[in-house]
Amino acid sequence: MKSSVKMAKLTSLFVISLSFFCISEAVFEDQVGKFDWRQQYVGKTLFAHFESNTQSSKKMFVATDKNIFASFNSRTGDLLWRHVDKTGPEGSIDILLLHGQDALMVVGDGRLLRSWDTNIGGLNWEAVLDTGSFQAACFVAIQDTVKLVAVLKKAALSLHYLSNGHQKWVENLPDSDAVQYQAVYSGGEEEVYVLGVVPNSHLTIIAYSLEDGEIIKQRSVEASWLSSVESSCVVVGQGVLMCVDPATLALYTLPIQAEETPEFSQILLQSLDLEVSPGFQPVLVSSQPHPARSPLSEFFLQLGPDHHVLLQLNADGYTIAPLRDFQPAFLVSFATTGKKTVAAVMTPKNETACAINLFSVDSGRRLLDTTVLFPLELNGGKPHALYVHAFLKKDDSVGYRVLVQTQDHALTFIQQPGRVVWTREEALADVVTMEMVDLPLTGTQAELEGEFGKKADGLFPMVLKRLSSQVTLLQAWLAHLWKLFYEARKPRGQVKNEVTIETLSRDEFNLQKMMVMVTASGKLFGIDSKSGSILWKHYLENVQPNAAFKLIVQRTTAHFPHPPQCTLLIKDKDTGLATLHVFNPIFGRKSHIALPALPRPILQSLLLPVIDQDYAKVLLLVDDQYKVTAFPSTKNVLQQLQEMASSIFFYLIRSDQGNLSGFRLRKDLSTERIWEVVLPTEVQKIVAVKGKRPNEHVHSQGRVMGDRSVLYKYLNPNLLAVVTESTDTHPERAFVGVFLVDGVTGRIIHEAVQRKARGPVHFVHSENWVVYEYWNTKSRRNEFSVLELFEGTELYNSTVFSSLDRPHLPQVLQQTYIFPSPITTMEATLTEKGITSRHLLVGLPSGAILSLPKMFLDPRRPEVVTEHSREENLIPYAPEMPIRTEWFINYNQTVARVKGIYTAPSGLESTCLVVAYGLDIYQTRVYPSKQFDVLKDDYDYVLISSVLFALFFATMISKRLAQVKLLNRAWR
Amino acid sequence: MSDRIVDGVRKHTPSILLFFDESPFSLLWLWLSTEKRKQIKSEKIGIILYIAMASPGGQGGGAVSTRGAGARRMKWALELSLGNARGRGDRQSNQGDVMYPIGYSDKPVPDTSIQETDKNLVEKRCWDVALGPLKQIPMNLFIMYMSGNTISIFPIMMVCMMAWRPIQALMSMSATFKLLENSNQQWLQGLVYSVGNLLGSALAIYKCQSMGLLPTHSSDWLAFIEPPQRMEIMGGGMVL
Repeated sequence: MKSSVKMAKLTSLFVISLSFFCISEAVFEDQVGKFDWRQQYVGKTLFAHFESNTQSSKKMFVATDKNIFASFNSRTGDLLWRHVDKTGPEGSIDILLLHGQDALMVVGDGRLLRSWDTNIGGLNWEAVLDTGSFQAACFVAIQDTVKLVAVLKKAALSLHYLSNGHQKWVENLPDSDAVQYQAVYSGGEEEVYVLGVVPNSHLTIIAYSLEDGEIIKQRSVEASWLSSVESSCVVVGQGVLMCVDPATLALYTLPIQAEETPEFSQILLQSLDLEVSPGFQPVLVSSQPHPARSPLSEFFLQLGPDHHVLLQLNADGYTIAPLRDFQPAFLVSFATTGKKTVAAVMTPKNETACAINLFSVDSGRRLLDTTVLFPLELNGGKPHALYVHAFLKKDDSVGYRVLVQTQDHALTFIQQPGRVVWTREEALADVVTMEMVDLPLTGTQAELEGEFGKKADGLFPMVLKRLSSQVTLLQAWLAHLWKLFYEARKPRGQVKNEVTIETLSRDEFNLQKMMVMVTASGKLFGIDSKSGSILWKHYLENVQPNAAFKLIVQRTTAHFPHPPQCTLLIKDKDTGLATLHVFNPIFGRKSHIALPALPRPILQSLLLPVIDQDYAKVLLLVDDQYKVTAFPSTKNVLQQLQEMASSIFFYLIRSDQGNLSGFRLRKDLSTERIWEVVLPTEVQKIVAVKGKRPNEHVHSQGRVMGDRSVLYKYLNPNLLAVVTESTDTHPERAFVGVFLVDGVTGRIIHEAVQRKARGPVHFVHSENWVVYEYWNTKSRRNEFSVLELFEGTELYNSTVFSSLDRPHLPQVLQQTYIFPSPITTMEATLTEKGITSRHLLVGLPSGAILSLPKMFLDPRRPEVVTEHSREENLIPYAPEMPIRTEWFINYNQTVARVKGIYTAPSGLESTCLVVAYGLDIYQTRVYPSKQFDVLKDDYDYVLISSVLFALFFATMISKRLAQVKLLNRAWR
Repeated sequence: MSDRIVDGVRKHTPSILLFFDESPFSLLWLWLSTEKRKQIKSEKIGIILYIAMASPGGQGGGAVSTRGAGARRMKWALELSLGNARGRGDRQSNQGDVMYPIGYSDKPVPDTSIQETDKNLVEKRCWDVALGPLKQIPMNLFIMYMSGNTISIFPIMMVCMMAWRPIQALMSMSATFKLLENSNQQWLQGLVYSVGNLLGSALAIYKCQSMGLLPTHSSDWLAFIEPPQRMEIMGGGMVL
């Protein structure tokens, strides 16, 4: 009884303290979208289809490499709906077929067959397919209506009803060990044909009866030159298999349906006066406009990177007539509307544009007035694929819109006559790293700044200059006031601040910044953090898909007139060689600075706080011989480096060897290894390491205890948190280790091993604490653990911190909590001076971003409430960590697949800028201690000022009245 | 002169309410005390102290305050008419309707020569003045005990008053000495007076200390500690 009373008391205390300290974070309804924005992406398009071939249709469907099936509004480029499947091969989309209202999709290497309703994006049905890797799929028509879909797997062929997904029949393919079945074909007949190949031996054609799956025919044709049906053969005309052989430079034709067993008939390309570019593998492109009918007898043959030929198979099925030669032509595509089929061909026009033209397939003649220009961006990717939406206009001529996919994963939708309707930068679906850079000052501000920077040139000119700059400031202010007044009269929705790169300038509180985003495709973006509009983009060609990136801000905007400078280190994983891309983060332009030669593989980089005479921070690049290259490497820099070489240290972690090692820089820019820690890789592997963020400020050096003494924080700037996971994944023996290592001396400050725990470990290392999250295999739950380091009640040395002179180990406190959800990423808020309390931003798999007060993750939370702990405002310990919906900073704007959260301080101490990126990008502001330094958004200026004025006048009047009254009394 | 001193001593009753009524901030403080008594933290005490200092609290000006209520009534008028006046008029009406010249008194002028009894009286008054601050101390102790150590508006105001009054008294020492110059034991009385005031301020300081208002702990200086300068530059990471 007593304990329950105590418990109730505790709970009530807890609730009270919560309501007292945890100010709700939620936004008000009218603030939605005011400070935040979200952009949704889908990734690199693999398959794209348009809804129907009418002019008014608005929908298009894409399936992407991010396992997403989505629908766009083709007028605006907005997402209509989007289905995000599991990541990895489990959710990969093998094929997307569209017929009428149904979109058929094979998912997860032939695991599932799904049918979607394209109108609303709902799932019609889902069928689980038999095991086996997916090869091909096609629609099958019975008596001119498409009723079935055939799915070819490695060892089986199955037919499913389109209406409900039920399996009509499944047949094992004969001799599937030897024969690689790669294609399935149906041309509206009573059979479905499966084509398989034994590489460099023969081709196998099997015809199955649609009714019961019985093998009607089976034959093999000798084809010693054929290695793959998929890559070199298509079906054209009335069921004629057309193959191209790059070795003999010949086309081979074979009627599939023929009863007897004929040989391939060979047509040499030479006989058609065609020549293949050296080293190029010719590609065939054909089109089957309707599944119930046989494919077109016209087809494209690509002979070189920019050389295509339109050919026609004659009615006899053996001879070929060239219709038109397209050179140069980047891309070709067929499009059908009604009975008409056209070919769209993209040809280079000039440096800045490509032209797309329609050609009649039957004759190869160019259709008049069908030219559309595709603008080529200077730093954009080359066109990669062409998706044409053709339709019949009212006058029965063919009109079209075209979707161009470029190498940088951008989608551009173009309408006749050459108007770009919209562009989607799908590279942003895979942001690798980002930075936020302050915007430059406006011209007038910069001028003022410059005035202080310049040397004095006489008193009078200086006064004049000052006056003139004040006048310009006044002008700017008046213009600003006028703009405010002008805009206040307009309704709120109409006010649209167009942000262009020219008008960019820093706002009063530095809340608007430039987001520099690096994507996996090698495309860089500059995004305005206020509106989310892309201000510049730059595509880096020749970036390997698995390259490692490191983005470094070498010079900020603070050093006018020197432009800001960012450096992107791109390391090729295969060769290990690194390249530097130096650019201006505000305009995206590449800087023409002499780059250091990097002949050796680069292991790591290190940004020093040392600046050269142009105010650029010095970047050190460490190569595989532990030699250091400085960038920029002027004489000045080298001299500075020599002077301070003995205090420059760096550490390298080789995860594969379980090796942590520290190095010291020598005066000649070579290095010496000064420590090494080996964590045996048989037991555990290093998963991640994090130091502290260099721009982090800690305002308070200690914590005030209840008895008013101070517990000083152990603020070691060289501290590293190294997280390891056990190689043994058995739930009883798995563990997670957290090592706190001094990066200068290699001293292990603390090690915490969490037994019966498994990764993935997400952690944040900041100030004097490390917070990490893991999966507890014993209790089967997610747990948060916090480590806090304190120096004790005495400071060892309050003026300087040197890792080499720290005799005492810190006191370490730890506490663990249960968290009700798995998490995907975690980051801590960051503010200008570090006065504001900290919050943890936790990305949840649901797409929500939780702003969790650090106060809840405090190892000093007491189990029993005492006078002192109450004095300190410590929340009593409770094992469960709550998730409150008002802590979701992105309310209903979920961010799919949050991969990272970036935080940046703003000019306001209370405000921290947050960017969450993953599939989507979400930008917002958080106020961990509420907005204590600005007036509220809804502050009633009118009321306050009117009251003030009223009071002022009342005082004046009453003073006057009092005077009159006094005078009157005196006369009485 | 002695009348005025007596007047001053009488007027000086350490009443909070009196202080309150005259202060324009009293309303604000009352509001503060009800609204946010619990939340007032040490940083806010400074502000309140400031407000208390700046407020026209001259009323608590100590025993020797020469600023009497009379200072405000500077205007005077000749009362030439009869019957309206209360004091002398009454007397006059008793004695008949005779108009006396201005300044005429029908009472005989008292003997102004200093007598032995007067001397004793002055001495007594001077001791009253000198012992005034000491007599306050038990009262202050009681108030201190009653108000407790929580930081809220009333204890704060009390502490402010307790601290401010002796300081003000000590600052106007010369005026007090002038009062005491008729006494034989002027120096002793002056000493007692100042000791009393010093004791009073010591009490106020003790109160501040027990309320935790004095920056005597290391935590009070925490905000001024600069982050230590870093001696080594370190960086690196996983091999890219």
